[in-house]
Amino acid sequence: MNASPEAVKGSHRSGGATLFALSARSVTKRFPGVLANDDVDFDLAAGEVHTLLGENGAGKSTLASVLCGLYRPDEGAVLRNGTQVRLSSPRHGLQHGIAMVHQHFRLVDRFSVAENVVLGDKRLSFFIDQDSINDRVSRIAEEFGLPIDPLAVVGELSAGQRQRVEIIKALYQGAEILLLDEPTALLAPPEVEKLFETVRTMAKAGKSVVFVSHKLGEVVDISDRITVMRDGKVTGSVGRGEADTRKLAELMVGREIDLSPRKAKAPAGGTMLKLHNVSLHRDGVAVVDNVSLEVRAGEIVGVAGVSGNGQRDLAELVAGLQSPTGGVITVDGREMNGAGTREMRANGLAYVPEDRLGTGLSPSLSIIDNMVLTRPRGLLVDRKAAGAEAERYITELEIKTPSPHTATRKLSGGNSQKVLLAREIFAQSDTTKVLVVCSPTRGLDVGAVETVHKVLDEARTKGKAVLLISEDLDEVLTLADKILVLYRGAVVHSADSNALDIEKVGLAMAGIS
Amino acid sequence: MIVGGYRIELEPRLKSPRWLVYVVPVVSLLFAFVVAGIFLLGTGHNPFTTYGKLIDKGYTSYYGITDTLGLATPLICTGLAAAFAFRMNLFNIGEEGQMYLGMIGAAWAGIVLADNLPGVAAVPVVMLSGAAFGALWVLVPAVLRARLGPSETVSSLLLNYVALNLVNFLIFGSRTLWRDPSPFPDGQLVADSARLDRFGTTNVYPTLLIAAILAVFLWLFMRFSNYGYETSVFADSPNTARYAGMSASRLTVSVLLSSGALAGLAGSMYVVGPAGKVDPGLLQVGLGYAGIVVAALARYNFVAVILTAVLFAGLRVGGAALQISSDPVPIAIATVIQGAVLLFALGGEMFRKNRLRVRRIAGSPVRGAA
Amino acid sequence: MNSNIWLITFADAISIATPLILASLGAMLTERSGVINLGVEGYLLMGAVTAFQLGMGFGNVWLSVFAPILVGVVMALVHGALVISLRANQIVSGLAMVIFGTGLSQFLGKSVEGERRPVSIEPIDFGRLSDIPFIGPVIFGHDPLTYFTWALTIVASLYLNRTRPGLVLRATGDAPATVDAQGVSVTAVRYIHTVVGGALMAFAGSWFMLARGTAWSQESTTNGIGWIALALVVFAAWRPLRAILGAVLFGFTLQVPFTLQAQQINVVAPEMVKMLPYLATLFVLVALSTPRARRLLGAPKMLGIPFVRDER
Repeated sequence: MNASPEAVKGSHRSGGATLFALSARSVTKRFPGVLANDDVDFDLAAGEVHTLLGENGAGKSTLASVLCGLYRPDEGAVLRNGTQVRLSSPRHGLQHGIAMVHQHFRLVDRFSVAENVVLGDKRLSFFIDQDSINDRVSRIAEEFGLPIDPLAVVGELSAGQRQRVEIIKALYQGAEILLLDEPTALLAPPEVEKLFETVRTMAKAGKSVVFVSHKLGEVVDISDRITVMRDGKVTGSVGRGEADTRKLAELMVGREIDLSPRKAKAPAGGTMLKLHNVSLHRDGVAVVDNVSLEVRAGEIVGVAGVSGNGQRDLAELVAGLQSPTGGVITVDGREMNGAGTREMRANGLAYVPEDRLGTGLSPSLSIIDNMVLTRPRGLLVDRKAAGAEAERYITELEIKTPSPHTATRKLSGGNSQKVLLAREIFAQSDTTKVLVVCSPTRGLDVGAVETVHKVLDEARTKGKAVLLISEDLDEVLTLADKILVLYRGAVVHSADSNALDIEKVGLAMAGIS
Repeated sequence: MIVGGYRIELEPRLKSPRWLVYVVPVVSLLFAFVVAGIFLLGTGHNPFTTYGKLIDKGYTSYYGITDTLGLATPLICTGLAAAFAFRMNLFNIGEEGQMYLGMIGAAWAGIVLADNLPGVAAVPVVMLSGAAFGALWVLVPAVLRARLGPSETVSSLLLNYVALNLVNFLIFGSRTLWRDPSPFPDGQLVADSARLDRFGTTNVYPTLLIAAILAVFLWLFMRFSNYGYETSVFADSPNTARYAGMSASRLTVSVLLSSGALAGLAGSMYVVGPAGKVDPGLLQVGLGYAGIVVAALARYNFVAVILTAVLFAGLRVGGAALQISSDPVPIAIATVIQGAVLLFALGGEMFRKNRLRVRRIAGSPVRGAA
Repeated sequence: MNSNIWLITFADAISIATPLILASLGAMLTERSGVINLGVEGYLLMGAVTAFQLGMGFGNVWLSVFAPILVGVVMALVHGALVISLRANQIVSGLAMVIFGTGLSQFLGKSVEGERRPVSIEPIDFGRLSDIPFIGPVIFGHDPLTYFTWALTIVASLYLNRTRPGLVLRATGDAPATVDAQGVSVTAVRYIHTVVGGALMAFAGSWFMLARGTAWSQESTTNGIGWIALALVVFAAWRPLRAILGAVLFGFTLQVPFTLQAQQINVVAPEMVKMLPYLATLFVLVALSTPRARRLLGAPKMLGIPFVRDER
């Protein structure tokens, strides 16, 4: 589906020559292997709340980074009040009044709120006048309706309060334009409300705010304008009230369903993996929230969702690396709560983690040495057998490597992923019943993606129960027989692949059920 | 780092040439000799003749090389001890104290147990006893590390000083079983069955062969055993080890205990070989600290430790001869070279793994120089 | 038992606390920036031998006071280059410096082994003040270096807690990425404080020669005080003022063996008593490493971890 007719190029927006506070013109940004921003136009008016909406890999974070000076565009320009600026660093961006608040806060936990705000202020006196800085910080906080105690120790604050500190910091440093990257990701619902109040106050005071988010449901009320991105391009830009959520969801995830999806050819067998009301609490927050699901032999259950919604914790729970705080996990009829990962594996579970080189493989060790990592080992390590295996899979999967003794960190992403799959899927094929796979094609080229999908399909045909947790919606749509959507650690939507309403999926991913 | 209009950065090398691996230790040694040479010059000695004498007395003369091999024997053990632990980023710097405890433990077995054991068993029991005492001495730091994160460095070090005073106490300050009954402060000799004879008239004992075989055995063991495999995964990527279900605390404690045992073995070898008793003389040599340098220069490879141990033992033997020669040079010169070698090796290793990239900064000046 | 003797022990404890405080201040400032420098013992010895030899050579007290500072700076620059610029392992580099410093100081000190100190710093005569019972001998009657150290500790505390560069320093040890994002050079902060730290450590070494009047001994000039200083940093929770209390306590454990010996109290053999400072330090370290204690202490979060800017 192409960009809808309503998609407009920014410069025509107001039909004239109004100066925009911040604009991107034909911005293109490339990273090795991916075109993150493709000829992107964007306009932000003064005092406007503007959301950049999109799923993972849409390019919205990249665009925001270009706008604040963290990245330099390969092509195109950034305009501030109509004049082009070449931002060489975030500090430079700040000098132009542009500040970005990142998803992961850059604060010193040990310091007070005031100390964090003034850190880096070059005009600060040599001897710090505590009262004076507390005053200044209080004044800014009040001015923008951000109640905070300047003396509070940041490490003891909640996520919402810490975000407030980051915002105050930006305002203190003279920001007129604030870019907020996934600002509600770490917030509980009541804190989200407070954030929106803050944003309204700032907008009234003439500041411009850009929300970078995938949470359509949250941002639709607060945004004066929403620009939707997908695959590096702008798919649409609508003002307040111009489009409904379904339309926006379509702009966000709408795509042609692949003509050749891979689906199960045979009916599924018995239930191999079952989660019943499984939860994981951390620091009082439910990162996995009452999840129930079932995977049967010979089927692929796909869990879709934007990254950061509990995927890794869910995977680690199933793999036995973490213990659930509630609920029951059953593998092939046996309750496995609290069983360590070794027991899980002994019971027929294989796990392909998202972080292939830092977790799934030992980077400095050879391919051969990595082949035995999750396999049962005796007192001695049988490298001969492992060597023969490695040779076999290098040929079968066409793994490009100088030799089986090469360290895995020297392999390309696709090839190291093939090693991981060879070990988890092929080498243990006889004993594996359940396969948990996370974002298996992240960062891979088209050819490697093909291979991986073929491998997963074959595993299904061989009767394995596959739980595919992926942030790549396309992948889930292509492979899964049943689709679940994960949002804030909970399953908010589930459907069979042949009865799929793509818009509902998009809405669920964006937090609207 | 920004200098002038250029940015200088360190970048990891994708492929570092194999020959660099051997070049770095050799060049470090040469540079260390140069640096020490400067201090020799500064104190009025001729570096060239000094080094000439050093090499002669330490390596090329008959009694030189044999004395060196004799001293290398316990040094191989402390080197293995350090290599075993440091490979895993576990910084056991208490080898010195663990070695003293090994000496005490071996002497205890040699005095108390040996007479009741069949002749053949005496030496092995004595050696194992020393190893056990050495492991015991690292137990507290090991538990600290496993339970509470990095804290084994200073704690293992402090125990060195405690051990030192313990040895002094046993020989000078008390009348325990370790002390010879005569009025002169000296250690009590162990039973004859617990001793090994030297080779001919040299200072080389069969313990040298035991040490060398041990080094090779360790190399084989760590390469082919499951335990060795798990430690190498853990040392490479703790996340991967966790993913594979390996127990961090089990690996940490066992590695540290083994390291302590190896250092203790150095003490046992000293008892079984030249000393035959608790000998405060061992406190002067600094074999525990030297073991760390020996291990680092060998890049923590167990077989290479044999070579570097012989190298540093020779420096020490040569240095001792220099101290009493006609133009005396303080024996500390050997320690100076040791320290300097380690510093250069550290720097050199980083250059091997990374390379400098110098780039012109284009366009607008960048704020926030690093 | 003569209570006067214990008072004198206490006064001596305060005296030996001086190099302990200086060395641990040095280590503390370095660690606050995120860099571990284990080489303290080496710096102490190099400082001591420099003070002694220059005193023998030139007889000038000031030279013997300031030259060790220069020596400490040079050594710290080497350490800094290795661990900050080259990102080498900080523990091994510190150890190497201990070995190098120990060896070089013994090499340079051989010629003056056993000699009496050539220059000295005499205790300040406070006249009648020192006669005040209890506080007299304890507070008054120390050498200038001791009073200087107390003043320096207060300055360090002010610097750390009340000044802008102190704020930046504290932030660098916890969150260098944040400091970097503000446009401040993490590398510069680390170098400066590593060098200042090294200077203080070597300067502490000069105390042994100048104030304490130790003869140079190949075996035991500093006796591991450098390591106790490192433990002291933890005990003081990386805060300068608290180091004074800890240093006096540790100093006490260092002096008690001498007092017992002088009083010929032989309940426990002298060698065993000599273990006291090290066992006490170990005990403190163990007590301070429970998770609760560690949280309360607040070590710099990124201590020992090289800073690499995440760049694209």
